[in-house]
Amino acid sequence: MSALLEVSGVSVTFDGFRAINNLSISIGEPELRAVIGPNGAGKTTFMDIVTGKTKPDEGRVLWGEASQNLLGMSESAIARAGIGRKFQKPTVFEDQTVRENLAMALRNKRGPFDVLLYKTNRHARARIAELAEEIGLSDHLPRRAGDLSHGQKQWLEIGMLLAQDPRLLLVDEPAAGMTPAEREHTTELLTRAAQTRAVVVIEHDMEFIRRLNCKVTVLHEGSVLAEGSLDHVTQNQQVIDVYLGR
Amino acid sequence: MPFRTLMFRALALVALAIVALPGPARAQDALQPALQAFADDLASPSRRTIESVVITLIEQDHPNIGEFLRRYSAREVVQRPEDGLFFYAEDAGALVRLVDIDSGEAVAEVSSRDVTQIRTNSGVQRVIAAALVPLELNAPERERRMAALDAISRSPDASQIAPLAESVERETDASLKTRKERLLLLLQAQFAQDRAVQLSAIAALGGDTSIEARGVLNRLTATVTEVALALPEGANIARVLNVGTDLTEAAAYELLVSAALAEPAQTPAMLREVLAENIVDGRVGGVPVGRLSDPAARIEAYEALEAAGTVPPRAAPDEAAQAVAAHVFFDRYTLDDAEITAAAQAALDSTQQAIAAYQVADLVLDGLSLASIFFLAAIGLAITFGVMGVINMAHGEFIMMGAYTGYVVQLFIPDYTISLLVALPLAFLVTFGAGVAMERSVIRHLYKRPLETLLATFGISIALQQLAKNIFGTQARPLTAPDWLGGALQINDIVGISTIRVAIFVLALIFLALLLYILKRTRLGLEVRAVTQNPGMAASMGINPDRINMLTFGLGSGIAGIAGVAIGLYAQVTSEMGANYIVQSFMTVVVGGVGNVWGTLAGASLIGFLQKGIEWFNPSNTLAAQTYMVLFVILFIQFRPKGIVALRGRAAGD
Amino acid sequence: MAKTTLAPKKGFLSENPSVLRFLGLLTVFTLIVTALAEGFGAGVISTSFLKVLGMTLCLCLIAVAMDVVWGYCGILSLGHFAFFGLGGYGIGMWLMYARTEGIVRTSLANAPIPATEGEVRDAIASQIFSVVGSTELPFIWGFAHSLTLQLLLIVLVPGLLALVFGWLAFRSRVTGVYLSILTQAMTLALSLYLFQNDTGLRGNNGLSGLQNIPGLLHLPQSTIALWFFWASALALGLGYLLFAWLVSGKFGSVVRAIRDNENRVRFLGYHVESYKLVVFTATAIVSGIAGALYYPQAGIINPAEIAPITSIYLAVWVAIGGRGRLYGAVIGAATVSLLSSWFTGGGAPNIDLGFYRIVWTDWWLVLLGLGFVAVTLFFPKGIGGLFDYLVRKP
Repeated sequence: MSALLEVSGVSVTFDGFRAINNLSISIGEPELRAVIGPNGAGKTTFMDIVTGKTKPDEGRVLWGEASQNLLGMSESAIARAGIGRKFQKPTVFEDQTVRENLAMALRNKRGPFDVLLYKTNRHARARIAELAEEIGLSDHLPRRAGDLSHGQKQWLEIGMLLAQDPRLLLVDEPAAGMTPAEREHTTELLTRAAQTRAVVVIEHDMEFIRRLNCKVTVLHEGSVLAEGSLDHVTQNQQVIDVYLGR
Repeated sequence: MPFRTLMFRALALVALAIVALPGPARAQDALQPALQAFADDLASPSRRTIESVVITLIEQDHPNIGEFLRRYSAREVVQRPEDGLFFYAEDAGALVRLVDIDSGEAVAEVSSRDVTQIRTNSGVQRVIAAALVPLELNAPERERRMAALDAISRSPDASQIAPLAESVERETDASLKTRKERLLLLLQAQFAQDRAVQLSAIAALGGDTSIEARGVLNRLTATVTEVALALPEGANIARVLNVGTDLTEAAAYELLVSAALAEPAQTPAMLREVLAENIVDGRVGGVPVGRLSDPAARIEAYEALEAAGTVPPRAAPDEAAQAVAAHVFFDRYTLDDAEITAAAQAALDSTQQAIAAYQVADLVLDGLSLASIFFLAAIGLAITFGVMGVINMAHGEFIMMGAYTGYVVQLFIPDYTISLLVALPLAFLVTFGAGVAMERSVIRHLYKRPLETLLATFGISIALQQLAKNIFGTQARPLTAPDWLGGALQINDIVGISTIRVAIFVLALIFLALLLYILKRTRLGLEVRAVTQNPGMAASMGINPDRINMLTFGLGSGIAGIAGVAIGLYAQVTSEMGANYIVQSFMTVVVGGVGNVWGTLAGASLIGFLQKGIEWFNPSNTLAAQTYMVLFVILFIQFRPKGIVALRGRAAGD
Repeated sequence: MAKTTLAPKKGFLSENPSVLRFLGLLTVFTLIVTALAEGFGAGVISTSFLKVLGMTLCLCLIAVAMDVVWGYCGILSLGHFAFFGLGGYGIGMWLMYARTEGIVRTSLANAPIPATEGEVRDAIASQIFSVVGSTELPFIWGFAHSLTLQLLLIVLVPGLLALVFGWLAFRSRVTGVYLSILTQAMTLALSLYLFQNDTGLRGNNGLSGLQNIPGLLHLPQSTIALWFFWASALALGLGYLLFAWLVSGKFGSVVRAIRDNENRVRFLGYHVESYKLVVFTATAIVSGIAGALYYPQAGIINPAEIAPITSIYLAVWVAIGGRGRLYGAVIGAATVSLLSSWFTGGGAPNIDLGFYRIVWTDWWLVLLGLGFVAVTLFFPKGIGGLFDYLVRKP
């Protein structure tokens, strides 16, 4: 298992508040990793840094076999390099159909003129059908994404992530607001995806994480507090202190 | 003749007594008898004889002597041959009206042939003028002394130096004394016989930025551009001109032509004319006319004519260049005295430095005043934009509304000071009301759609503008400032600012302080800031965002109204005046950064100073200055998309 | 549009029946107007009204472009009339130069010596620029003698300006209201620039006499007006087709996604700025072409035409017509501009209230302003939205 993403010594400050403090995390491929931590621990900011939304004050973020430096690349370039992200709040394009949403995310050339001259083909249609099957939205392809239920939107977004065919998936609270049955399905989706690629999940729900059954990283005040199996970290005294409060 | 003269005199004395008795002037003060004592010299004056007469008359200290001598010198005095009396002559149509010298009353109207006009020649006039100067300079009345000084500065000459210097000692009025001293310097710099005096006077003028002093120095250092085969020996050369850098070759050649050192070059138009004169059977010098649309063919035709001897030879192509190269071009001082010109030049240089410094000061004042206008116009917009994220395109119309409020108030209250005092709060109330009405009826429905607010308020803006046009007409309406705002604060000939702009600056300062106070120190300000940062949280803490939005919008609009009165005072009130400020105001807000009073201040200062600065480089073209200004703003936003004072972190949104 | 990716190998037009319907209507309209036009026979439509109709078609074209950039891509540009004006200036320079050249050559033909090219150029320059006190041809008129080059400029100048401006604005991620103000500033700078006498486009005199087409002076205006009407209709048809194609399919999908949430589109791997730039530039070029067709029919162009307010009016038309649907823009532009010329041209009957007489030339703008507020408040989807509503009802 070689490191796909190497975050080392990253710090970022917002108006004097240190959101990330000398953070180092390494993700392999394939791997399923859960990141937990109390509010304000810097989980979302960590994703912001990896995806290029926030520029850190110091540190390195290296990517892939060639150890490409992700800092200084634009969000879209990072996404094209193979990092997909799902936001905490489901953000699908509500005015467009499920099919259009998926088609937009499909792995294809992204340049404006390529897209302008793009002709849909059998392969693309097949892939969309396959993805729709996987996220359980086969019957909803022509529907407006805005008309879907909350859980369906979450899946659609995961489906869009998968359509991008990324090497690393960053998933922010995928199970929030889902019914238990829907959670089950989501867990399944994520573990399956993690068989061929790296998946990082941010989650609050311990039950959900337990079901993912993977390595866990605990963040606190912008840096790694503990790392290991869920059982291992939950027995860590520091983690208990942080979570239960002193 | 002597007998007749005597008799006339006797008669005249009697007549005079009769005429003079009822008048207010006492007999011994009367000028006419004194004049009669020198009647012959006065009747046919010569430069040699007049001086003693004038001096004697002046020493007798008649009250009217000054006026008499002036009019005498101006050939306005006539003598009646019958009695030898002198009168002032005034034009009365075909006739001449005779005016008594002492009483100033018209005595008779006679034909110009019945009186002898006294012709004073220029020599006499000079003598009289010189004699008058000390008289007037030392006159008891301040006004007369001032008038004498004015007269000297209007037409200065060497003869005035001595009396002026003498009168400086006697002057009691401090301000007149300084003025006399300066005038003396100016005279000495130009006319002093003593070189040391002149040089020291010139040196003393250095750094003096008044137009008079600069005029004197400029006259002393005046140059003419000349051309010669070689630099003339002993001439006072200011500088040698380099063809190519200091003047173009064409200009140099023109100098040669005007100095008759070269023939005028043949222009294409002259060539065409010569050819047209020599058309023979549809050909010119053997070249068919049809081919002459080609410049080369024209030259060919001319050369053919030249070979036939019909026309003078054409200048060789490089003849002009050779002629120019063979001559030197130089600026020569019109004064030959090199020491004087050098001193004057040095003095002028130090004046230039002073002027540059003052100009910068003036520029700063101008920039400050423009910045305060922009600040006033934009701050209301910044408040609504910053607090509510609402772009109010009708903001300019609120400015206009305020200005028209001021205009209407002036229709009812004629006293400009009182009407201004009424107009300011009234304009605030009117536009506050309009703003609140607009917020309640339109904007609150559009908070989720900021771009549409922009368009809806634009709709209101065109409706308001047209409404104003329908009510007040398209003509500009005056909003007159009270007299105490009418003047200007003139620090010297260069630095000055109109009082009204100072008032606007003060107004801007007051508003800055007031707004800072409201936002930082009052409950309203606290709630406004809370709503700005997190409307949801503010609402849950019992702050009514509706009320806050309404008040904020009203406040922003109200300030626009007051700005309108201020702007209307120095610009004209038209229905379109708001539109002229709206884009500038937007740029001020955007450059400064949204939602921050200091940001608006910074934006207004930047834009105001920059615009004045650009205008300074190209003062004739305000449009160009504005163009560059806007381009600058566009580029500026590239580097600071959130403005000078940007909110950072999560509050900035994303 | 929903069928885009589902339908196998169907033509673009058959997938978008509304485009076909629009083109059909446009053709029918053109034919009817032609049949009724003075230049063709019936003479029911006067030449001046035919010009108004032709100009309206040009305005519809720029409205369609505006709809694409605003309604689809979410950039409320307050600068597209600047591009329109640049197109107008582009064609105006050739029209004025060529026509003056004709006049100059005729007057110089009687001279004893035929004029050189230089003399002709000087004479043209002093004819055109005497009004601003100059006799020299500014360098920007260097191509004015050639129709081909000048036509090229009509495409290149607005295109390049849009490209440079858009690149600067988009790369610094200026969005929303800020971007609107920035485009407005660009328009203001351009109009201020053109207002100057020494910038080579005759200051506030503008370019005039553009209705006289060099080489076609022997034809009556009624015929030329008809030709321009046809050209405008053709341009509108082609422009509509181009933009309909642009906003359909995957490109349109991405563009609309950018409008709704451009950050999300970035994380999908699309370089948002390039898309905006393509849309901004393409619409600018079409706007320039629309302007180049408009001003020969209007006869005169001056910097006031480029003032920021005209671009806001453009946004108003599109909003009234209905954003995000191309035919909405056409409806909006046609309705408002025709109503506007009806009201301000004195066509509308004045209303006597007894105590006050409503003169429409004075009150039209008030009506338009308030009407516009009402549309924004109550019909955010505009007239086109009303259409949808009626169609869907049964």
